[in-house]
Amino acid sequence: MLFKENIARIVFLSASILSAVATLLILGFMILLSLPVLETGMIWGILTDPWSPDHGRFGILAMIVGTVYISSFSLLISFPISLGCSFFIQIIHPDSPGRFLKLLVQLMTAIPTVIYGFVGVFLLVPIVRKVFSYGSGMSILSASLMLAILISPTMILFFSQSFARVPKRFLDATEALGATSFQKLFYVILPNAWTGVFTGLVLAFGRAMGDTLIALMISGNSVVLPSSILDSARTLTAHIAMIIAADFDSIEFKTIFICGGVLYIMTSCGILLARFSVKKRVR
Amino acid sequence: MENNIKIQIRNLWFYYKTISMLEGINVDFPENTITSITGPSGQGKSSFLMTMNRLWQCIDGASVKGEVKINFGNGFEDINHQKYPLPMLRRKVGMVFQTPNPLPMSIFKNIAFPFKLIGEKNQNKTFEKVEYALKKAFLWQEVKNRLTEDAGVLSGGQQQRLCIARALVLEPQVLLLDEPTSSLDEISAEMIEQLLLKLKKKCTIILVSHYMDQVKRIADTKFILSNRQLTLQEE
Repeated sequence: MLFKENIARIVFLSASILSAVATLLILGFMILLSLPVLETGMIWGILTDPWSPDHGRFGILAMIVGTVYISSFSLLISFPISLGCSFFIQIIHPDSPGRFLKLLVQLMTAIPTVIYGFVGVFLLVPIVRKVFSYGSGMSILSASLMLAILISPTMILFFSQSFARVPKRFLDATEALGATSFQKLFYVILPNAWTGVFTGLVLAFGRAMGDTLIALMISGNSVVLPSSILDSARTLTAHIAMIIAADFDSIEFKTIFICGGVLYIMTSCGILLARFSVKKRVR
Repeated sequence: MENNIKIQIRNLWFYYKTISMLEGINVDFPENTITSITGPSGQGKSSFLMTMNRLWQCIDGASVKGEVKINFGNGFEDINHQKYPLPMLRRKVGMVFQTPNPLPMSIFKNIAFPFKLIGEKNQNKTFEKVEYALKKAFLWQEVKNRLTEDAGVLSGGQQQRLCIARALVLEPQVLLLDEPTSSLDEISAEMIEQLLLKLKKKCTIILVSHYMDQVKRIADTKFILSNRQLTLQEE
């Protein structure tokens, strides 16, 4: 028994170490690939300049701003919707309607991203163009809306799981005191499912930041700094995809590693911030 | 006699999925008395209690047929009527569970929680009521200097009295108790018995209990729930 336990402990410890090392290796690899650009001393220019290769300027600021806008808006849109859906599934109707909705959400996770992209291009973009009568409709708004639909299943499933873990005795006590469904959600469920809700948010934010296809197909890919959510924008991932498809050894090409590094730092900062906030709240 | 009746139950059926747990129960519970319900485990005693505050609606697959009428001062009202407001019902019919279930918050916040639910903004009034409820539950002396501490640090007996205080804070007219002393030591159980005897002057109490000695000591009317039927237990 002890031998089996030791084996299990070694296996799990190795898996954890491997994951940590892999994460650090990826960071090291990104730095290594960025070295040629870093050595030229162009890093400040790359982070702050506009993107204009014809004039020798390879700035990615517009892409950083585009990424932050699109992922943040998509999160803002999908968070309340996902919260409501999870509440419906787990608390209001855990019986047949809730189970059916959960099945639909699970199915949504299996739909390839490109399908969402098609829906975005041929349905959402024309609607946005018609409603706002502004530009082509390929905008931060369209990409954020589509991305919100893409990331909401992750959040809904995570939130539902964390709601399900709230001890039943708390829910019984609240019910017996005459709480309405919303009071139950805000006073008991959310405070006790906070960690799970935050983890779901972080994962969804990571997914929104890392998604390439939706942004590439719907956001319009403009390299100019956007001034409103109806403007086109390009995300870092879409930028990497576009450059890598057309080039392999120019300075333009080498800047994509800086893009990767920036993405890595942005998502890591997001996760660390979320973990810090959760710990502070739990304390 | 009709004037003294608080709860009137007629032809009550309780189903769990397709299985009937209670079959055609007819019973009246007099006002300001303690009525005990005993019987073997798994016969539906807790479910029966839940028919009086509609908490059965939280049980997946449960359904109820029949009339449960309670006189809250304006004549008998059928609480199973769809339009009867649930939050209001549960504020008038308090419930205490077998296992103490304080919420993960401070002692004060636990007792003040029902006030938060009804949107009471007056802090002074809330504090007065919390103090009153804790005194009523014989808990004030033990916790008056630790109101901001987490309720989870209290002993089992204290937690159960806290739950009783929380159920009492909105001054319910009916109090349902589902084996409230089963997880407590003798001294704590005795304290709760004394508390119930005092409470019955203002409240109609329905007590589910396994302890025959306890039932003999405090119950005015005794019923046995067995084979899906409720029968009056003669002295």
